[in-house]
Amino acid sequence: MFGKKLMLLPALILSAAAALSGCTSGGSAGAAGDKVINIYQGKVEISDQLQEMKELYESSHPGVKLNIQSVGGGTDYAASLKSRFSAGAQPDIFTIGGFQERDLWLEYLEDLSDQPWVQHMDQVSKDPMTVDGKLYGFPLNYEGYGFLYNKDIFKEAGVTEIPKTLTELEAAAEKIKAAGYTPFVNAYAEWWVLGNHNVNVPFARQDDPDAFMQALNDGSADIAGNEIFNGWLDLLDLTLKYGQANPLTTDYNTQMSTFANGKAAMTQQGNWVQPTLDGINPDLNVGMMPMPISDDAEANDKLYVGVPIYWVVNNSSPVKEEAKELLDWMASSPEGQQFLTEKFQFIPALNNVEANPDDIGPLGAELTKYIGDDKALGWYFQQLPIGTPQDYSSLMQSYIAGRDTREQLLKNLQASYDNLKVR
Amino acid sequence: MSRRKLSRLTQQLVFTGPTTILFALVVLIPFLLGIYYSMTNWNGVSRHLEFVGLSNYAHVLTADPEFRNAFWFTVRFTIVAVLVTNLLGFFLAYFLTKPLKSKNVLRTVFFMPNMIGGLLLGFIWQFIFVRGFAAIGQATGISFFKLPWLGNEPTAFWGIVIVFVWQYAGYLMVIYIASLGNVSKDVIESAQIDGATHGQILWKIIVPLVMPAVTVCLFLAISWSFKMFDLNLALTGGGPFNATRSVALDIYREAFTNSRLGLGTAKAVIFFVIVAIITAIQVRATKSREVEA
Repeated sequence: MFGKKLMLLPALILSAAAALSGCTSGGSAGAAGDKVINIYQGKVEISDQLQEMKELYESSHPGVKLNIQSVGGGTDYAASLKSRFSAGAQPDIFTIGGFQERDLWLEYLEDLSDQPWVQHMDQVSKDPMTVDGKLYGFPLNYEGYGFLYNKDIFKEAGVTEIPKTLTELEAAAEKIKAAGYTPFVNAYAEWWVLGNHNVNVPFARQDDPDAFMQALNDGSADIAGNEIFNGWLDLLDLTLKYGQANPLTTDYNTQMSTFANGKAAMTQQGNWVQPTLDGINPDLNVGMMPMPISDDAEANDKLYVGVPIYWVVNNSSPVKEEAKELLDWMASSPEGQQFLTEKFQFIPALNNVEANPDDIGPLGAELTKYIGDDKALGWYFQQLPIGTPQDYSSLMQSYIAGRDTREQLLKNLQASYDNLKVR
Repeated sequence: MSRRKLSRLTQQLVFTGPTTILFALVVLIPFLLGIYYSMTNWNGVSRHLEFVGLSNYAHVLTADPEFRNAFWFTVRFTIVAVLVTNLLGFFLAYFLTKPLKSKNVLRTVFFMPNMIGGLLLGFIWQFIFVRGFAAIGQATGISFFKLPWLGNEPTAFWGIVIVFVWQYAGYLMVIYIASLGNVSKDVIESAQIDGATHGQILWKIIVPLVMPAVTVCLFLAISWSFKMFDLNLALTGGGPFNATRSVALDIYREAFTNSRLGLGTAKAVIFFVIVAIITAIQVRATKSREVEA
């Protein structure tokens, strides 16, 4: 996922090294006249598996070479991609998020509507990459988030039902506290925990999120007067009241070790942390539950699911046919599909690819169930003006630190949106 | 043209030509391009851009509280950092020019932090502040270490100051050492014979004589702290709640995170003008205080 601090360091060194070595520009010919597909991607956690995929693909496709570069960490990937383009060293395949990033890069994107795998995409994964009926990206996977909870602590504290309202959540937190555990560990030092995932909740919970965002754009909606935003802040207050000390200096790594070692019962994260949790404590009995912002149990019973990353083809690339063939291989061949599910441990975003629950872990399995039951809401933070999530995280941190009141925060969120929508 | 004139022209071209071309390529042309981009709405990606005149400047100066906050932070930081770095650098130099056995080792030790890049330094110190200080605090109970380091405004501000001073004081120390070494022993000796105290020798004789070094060191410290970026990015990332966001970081965020490169460049141009004015005033002011023995 975005912004893992420890991954930032090697990533920065890598990108510096890449800059120094003067990377070849798109589609250069290899030594023996091979066609080289340059891939620039932002998910460092699968970089080893991608090397494995490269070897397999090259051996079955003579004459084609893959040059894969992985650069990690949210905004840093985006910035390095931009400098890559302004330096004239454009990759043939690169990765971007949906909605706002799609619009930013649109003039460079190849139309992929005619590709065979498009028929296997769900509408929810098509929308973020579609403009005027044309589809521009290959969805790598689904990811989803909510509150992770430790099933053993819940049992020990006597919480038998998953809390689905604010009142139930507070009662559960009381019991957990009485049993001697920290109810919540909050990684509010990470901008993406707040600015992407947490703040997505009140946007996604609007009756018609698209209409609400449209109204924000034309100035007819107001965050400050919105009831759902109030409920969302009730939830934020609750996590703080029952959370650990110093939430603003608790980063992702601390959050993961506190939660995986059974010191805290709940934390806000997504299914992408499964390998990390397994690495710290393989015996952890973990589940995912909704983030309630009201006392309406049915409306609260939702998880937030989206496609974090799409692979897109550069429309000025000389090897774009080969690049499309690679994407089709990933989507259609048994070997490629095996990488998507088993090797990357992803929830596939193509409905002809089946994931084995053992590969995607308990979190992935629970998420798949929510998607199947149609209890998934979207990732609307991808539709906020670019830069807004980062700004929102700062404003929320200021509120968490007690510098701003609830009214001030809501006013600031509105002002930030109004500033950043100016392009 | 006479032969002599031609030869002079050739000489000038040979000696200054390459530098001029390099300077133009990496400083002058990017600077002019920057001024051009600051009048467009370029998003950093697109092949197309529109000329928007001075509206970016208007937005920065009237409708951007972030830039004002960042600027105010940078000014406060610069004042504190410049004073502390120079005082510490000077006194380190002062004591390490005394006959001390370990002075060569100590000089190396104090200069060493300067050899590490700001980015790496930021990550290391972030670990020290967040984990190291907390551990010491728990073990010893000293309240200084129990503060929420980097977690609120004051600790984040002073955290950056501490690392900045630690990084650059050694560099300034070297300049001051060189300058102190040039202060003639005769002058000091005659002052001692005249009965001057240590304090009088320091303030009335040594300090005025090292004023050229002060000019250089102040200039360096001011421009470093005004332009501070890597340390800021790695240590606090501008946080908490943008309270420690320097202007350089704000420009970077505007251009790359917010994808408003035109607006970011406009901020950079405004920033350039302000820094140029401030350093020009500083150099004039300290130059006028330089004396010769």
